[in-house]
This record gives sequence, structure tokens and C-alpha cells, in this order.
Amino acid sequence: MTGERKQRTHATEAAGKAGKLSRELTMKAQQAKEEGKPVAYSFIVCAYDEIIHAMDVVPVWTENYAGVCAAKRDAQRFLEKAEMENFSRSLCTYALCDLGFDIWRAELGEMPPDAPWRGMVRPDMMLGSGQLVCDPRNKWYQAAQHYMPDVPVYEVGMPWPQYESDYDYREVQDYYVKYIVEQLRGLIEFMERHTGHKMDWEKLAELVDITDKTWDLISETYELRKAKPCPMDTGDAMNTMVPIAFMMGTQEAYDFFIDLNEELKQKIARGEGVIPDEKYRLLWGGGLPSWFALSDFNYFNSKGAVFPAETTYRTFENTRLFDIDLRKISDPLEHIAWRWIKYWTFWYDAARKRPGSHPDVERLVQYIEDYNIDGVVMHEAFSCRTWHPGLIWQLNQLKKVYRDIPSLILESDIVDISSYSEADTHARIDAFIEILESVKSA
Amino acid sequence: MTDSSSNVLELVANYYKDYGCRARELHEQGRKVIGYLCAFTPVEIITAAGFIPFRIKGDVNEPITRADTQMETIICPLVRSAFDITLKGRYGFLDGLVIPHACDSISRTYDIWKYSLDVPYAHLVNLPHSIDDSSLEFYKNELNTFRRSIGNYAGKEITDKDLAQAVGLHNRVRTSIKELYELRKSDPPLLTGSEMTKILVAVMGIPPEESAELLPGVIEDIINRKNTPVKQPHRIMVVGAEVDDTAFIDVIEDSGASVVVDDLCPGTREYFPMVEITADPVDGIAERYLRGIKCGRTYREVKGTYDESLDDRFGHIMRAVEEYSVDGVILYIYMYCDPYGFEVPAMKDYIESKGTPVLYIEDQYSQSTISRLRTRVQAFLEMIG
Repeated sequence: MTGERKQRTHATEAAGKAGKLSRELTMKAQQAKEEGKPVAYSFIVCAYDEIIHAMDVVPVWTENYAGVCAAKRDAQRFLEKAEMENFSRSLCTYALCDLGFDIWRAELGEMPPDAPWRGMVRPDMMLGSGQLVCDPRNKWYQAAQHYMPDVPVYEVGMPWPQYESDYDYREVQDYYVKYIVEQLRGLIEFMERHTGHKMDWEKLAELVDITDKTWDLISETYELRKAKPCPMDTGDAMNTMVPIAFMMGTQEAYDFFIDLNEELKQKIARGEGVIPDEKYRLLWGGGLPSWFALSDFNYFNSKGAVFPAETTYRTFENTRLFDIDLRKISDPLEHIAWRWIKYWTFWYDAARKRPGSHPDVERLVQYIEDYNIDGVVMHEAFSCRTWHPGLIWQLNQLKKVYRDIPSLILESDIVDISSYSEADTHARIDAFIEILESVKSA
Repeated sequence: MTDSSSNVLELVANYYKDYGCRARELHEQGRKVIGYLCAFTPVEIITAAGFIPFRIKGDVNEPITRADTQMETIICPLVRSAFDITLKGRYGFLDGLVIPHACDSISRTYDIWKYSLDVPYAHLVNLPHSIDDSSLEFYKNELNTFRRSIGNYAGKEITDKDLAQAVGLHNRVRTSIKELYELRKSDPPLLTGSEMTKILVAVMGIPPEESAELLPGVIEDIINRKNTPVKQPHRIMVVGAEVDDTAFIDVIEDSGASVVVDDLCPGTREYFPMVEITADPVDGIAERYLRGIKCGRTYREVKGTYDESLDDRFGHIMRAVEEYSVDGVILYIYMYCDPYGFEVPAMKDYIESKGTPVLYIEDQYSQSTISRLRTRVQAFLEMIG
């Protein structure tokens, strides 16, 4: 039994606004479609946000729409639709949900009945991405094209260097950057060809600067969560990810975090935390959330636990801490490419200093120290082989190179609610809280 | 093998049954063995470094136990199985590990492999998903990084001459494998699908120079043997990601069909594309792995209409259907396989639109599913008449 859907309560006003922002983005795409403006299926964290905005193309964040269907507990009918077409239910359920939607919309020639938020519009182009992670970013739009054969797909290669023991990533970073710049240039040519728009390079440069500023601001804002009691936890961060993931490179995203920053400072000044009696500080150490069960964060809260930090959707770093001065890179495409490489390699140097460590593990160590963490919680989503392989290993490695810290890996999915049991999940959380308690009192 | 009088075929059967026995033997004699996953590992560079490339395979008969303490169960079951038996010491002779950026199940578990096995050498070769010119250029850089890295481990500089020799050697192996496939075009084929799988697997586990020596003898023995396979009512092609065991092939061949060709690894996908001889050997190697190997993990940009793109992606399957007189195609895909799972509707529709029946099976890389598979295969064979 999955239980009734419970609305998650927010600790911050900013988080409360994020759902509305997400809905507005979906409506903006619907409006653009009606007005004949170009609309593109897009993935988050592909570093092409500013390019899309500068080209005056309206993005449809496909992962977002699947998440919305999941949060509304209305994804199963789309998953089943995809399954009927022979897509395995073991594949990425973000992709399956939207493919099911695409198939249904193609069959009807209109939006499927009662589509959440009036539905996801048919795109004019699809912008895939080949990275070092996430096969679905490479396969999903190609698969969608089977139901929209006239919609062109572009695949932008966005790799980053692997963390290796026998050489430093700086030895290879130049050719990575060169490649990414060429790939982004190819993307712009593709978009110009299919929209008739010309790239506004000045606007692109402006948006690139806004992204830098926004990254730095979010980093500073999230650092405020170190306060005790913690003024905002991961439950809210799963809302404030909206401007991070879907609005990067816009003034609105920057302004959102100005407000959040101010709100958190005021809460800290008032000594106001997520919960009045904060007993355990937890790190959400990996895994995408179950969008249909975000109220589980409230369940943790009800047991005296808060999450001052998370690795999920922390898709930014303070650019002023990079080992290069991004501001000196005036070419916007090179700027994007360097920011991309420096983001993905951000923890490499720290990892090298601790024998046996690894960037993913080192980040956990750093957050545990900085945010005064008592335990680590992760979520293994069965349908995603992008972010969920290596969770067990990271915890094992954490114990080896740092210390034994209570940990919990929840198991379910991002979209498919049939994988979820509220009773079992809460029982596991209860047991974990008991462990935390016994460690504290030892 | 069907002809027990043949020493060569017996040797192949032994290499298949006791997979890794030859690599173990050579390791004990002082040779260094580099384990790798997937057909996208540029084995020529491992060979040029003076090492033995050894493809790590799973074992459908071995329940996965130890892997689950390190690796999530949402990973491709073949990769989990391979990791499990490696952890259990089956391939204790490995002196290094090379993993290509093939799919998430492989590249996202690189660190798990690397840290858990604690081998003295490990390297991940990044491989773009796109095949345009800038991707090719990037990949050449990656190959040269790998060349320097493994050269350092070998304590030598890998010269163009070393690479050219390795390319020639691996091309010889590929040529022999292609000749074996030619023997499957007749009706009945001169070797069964099960026999072919055993040969392909045997070759993955021995040095390329030994494969190059062994295979001509295998071909000769097959041509000359008296006990040829029996003519079956159906000729089947199997398409999927990786099949490194005869279990599923046996299910088909025990049900009244011959498996006569495949689009699998190991199989035509891996062995048909050759490395072109180029002035800079890295150019030819890069071209083969990036553009020559047609795998679901690589995005092939649409040229022309969508239908033309389908021809580009799947046309080679239909050419094989024609050349090998195939009357049914089985798509055999493991759970959690994103690169091939997303291909299924387009691939199935494409093949069926050309008039060839298709059976799609999703499996788990385990002997435990065999009876269920048998029922489905038998029903399919009945359906195609």
C-alpha cells in the first residue's frame, strides 16, 4: 500500500513559491506553442540553459514534467502506456512517463485526458546530451522521435575527465574544453537552422555572467543552512531545485535566491529552525527523491531529524573557488565549457589529499564536517543507473577513509509509485532513528 | 562441440568451459593480463603495451551474492554477475582493469570495480556518444591519453609500430571470425549457434596471437568434419547487447531452430568492423570504435528523413536477415539495459515492417529463467510456421 498523498509542508516561504514557478514554466511552454514560438524538449544540467534562453527558444524540461506527474501520483497510466509499446519498466521512469505521454498525445492528436498541468507540449526540436553519465539523455529523445518523426534531435557531447590515480585531470582538460566548445557551437548552428533565429552573442554573454553570479549566490545561501537549528532542509531543497535546474541563466533565478538568502538570514537571527527541537542532523548523501513521497522528509522531521545538506541537485559550486578565474574567459562558449569542467572536477584535489578517497566520498566527508552531520541517508531509485550506482560503495569507502557513521539507503523510485511502501519506508526510518539515538547516547 | 575427434575444437570447448584458464596459465608464467569490459575497449592498445587483453564475463550459473555488498541490484545483471565472480576470485590473475565509457552500468560502476579489486592499474577510456568530426578528434585524444597511461604502467613508450602490429593482429582474428560466420550461411549451417558462441567466448579469454593461430584450424576442422549440424525448420537471428553464454542460444536450438547470425557482443557487432590501416594507427582505431561499431549506446545523427535514419541504425540487421536467410529475429535484452531497452520499439517496428517476425524477450542473465524462455521461444517458432 502506498497510502494517501500527503502534501509536504515547507519550512521556507521561498520553497512554497517554487511549485508555482514550475507550473508557470509549463504554462509558458504552452503559451509559446500557441504563439508559434519554438519549443525544445530539454534536459537539466546540460550546460545549455543560457544558449536556449539567448536563442529565444522556450524549454520544456522533460524530467520536470515526469516529476510533476509523479508528485501528483498520476504517472502510472503513462508508464503503462510506454510499457505497452515494449519499453521495459526497468528503464528510466522519467523517460518512460514522458514517452508514454508522447505516445498517447500522438495517438489522440491532442493532450491526453486530464493531463497534469494541461500537459507537455509537442516540441519543435529535442536537445539530447551525451555525458559521462545518463544513457537516457542519449537515448530518450531518439526513442521519442519514433512517435514524432518530424521533430529533429541534436545530441550535444558534454563529457568530463574521470578521476584517475595515474594522472591529473588538468593534463587533459584543454581538449575536453575544446570539444565541448565545438559541440555547443554545433548546437547553436542546429538551433539557428531549425528556428530561423540568430544567436544573440551579447545576450548569451550576459546570461553566462548571471549564471556565475547565481551559482555563487546559491553556494553562499546554502552555506547558511549550517546554522543550528537548521533553517532549511533537503525537503525544501527539493523545491528550490526548480530555479536551479529549470531557470538557470535568468534574472528570476538570481532574484529567487536573493529572497531565500534574506529569508534564511532572518530565520537564523530569530533562531528559527525547520523543527523546534532538532535532535539529528542528516545528510541526504545521494539519490534522486521519490517525487510521490516528498512528505517523507516531514516524517524525518517528526522524529527530530533535519537535513541541512544534500548532494542531490547541488549542481553548482562557488565559481570563485575554482582554480581559474572564470571572469577572464570572455568567450561565452569557452566560459560555459570551463565552468562545466571545473564543476565536475571540483572535489578531485581534495580527494587526492586523503589516501583511498574519491571525489564523491570526499564531498560526503566535507559536508559531514561542515554541516555537523550525525547520519547519512541515500535513496536508491531502481530505474536510474545515472545517480544510483555506487551509493553502497561510497558508504563503504566513507567508513574506510573517514569514520563509521550511521547510514540508511532507502529503496524505491523517482516516478514509479508501485515500487514504494509508505509503511516499510517509515519502519526503516524509525529503525534508523533508533540507531542515531543509540549512537548519540553512547 | 559436435566432433570429439578434433583437438582444436576440444581446445576451444575447454577454453569456453574453463574460461580464463589460459590467461591464468600465462599470468603464472609472468605475462600481465588486463581485464576489460565491453567491445568498446580499444584492445589494440592493450596488446601494443605488451599485455594480454582479457574480457571479463559473467556466469549465468553462479548466483550473485558478494557483488550485492558493493554494487546496487539495479545494474545490468551481466555486469553484476561479472563483478560478482571477479570479487570471488575467479579472475584473480588480473593485473589491471580497463573500462570504456560504454553505458551507465559499465562506466558508472568503474569506481566500484577499481576500488574493490585493488588492481595495480585501472583506466577509464571516455568515448563520446556522438560520431561527428569533433567527437572523433576528442576520442583520438582520449586514446592517446590511454596509450600514454598504459605505456607508463608497462614501462615503455607505445610506438606507432607497436600499434600497427597490434592492429594487424586483431584484424587477423576478426577476419577469421568473419570466415566462420560465412560457414553459417548454408542450410544447414556448418556450425551451430551454440558452437559459434563457444568459439567467440573462447577467443575473448586468450591472447590475440593465440586466437589468430587457433581460428584457421577451427575453420578447417569445421569444414572437414563429418558430423555436421542437422537442418532445422527455422533460421534465427539474435539481436541484443551482450551474450557470453550458450544458455539462451541452446534454448532456441533445442526448440527446433538454428541460430545462424547475430547482432551481439561478442558477435558480428564486435568482430565485423575492422581497423583501417592508417598512417597514424590511432586514426584507424578511433574510427572503428566510434563509428564502425554499431551499438545502441552510440547516437547516430539522423541523415535525411527519420526512415532513412532507421535504415542507418538498423539496416545492417536486415542485410544479415537476407544474407543468412533468417526467418525470425529475437531481440534478447537484459533488464536495466538503457542503451538497448530504448531501442526496442523502433527496432522491432523496423524489422517487422520489412516482413520479418520479431520476438522481444527481456531477461535477467540467469539460468533460473530458462524454462520460461523456452515456452516463449517455442511459441514464437510455432507462430512463424
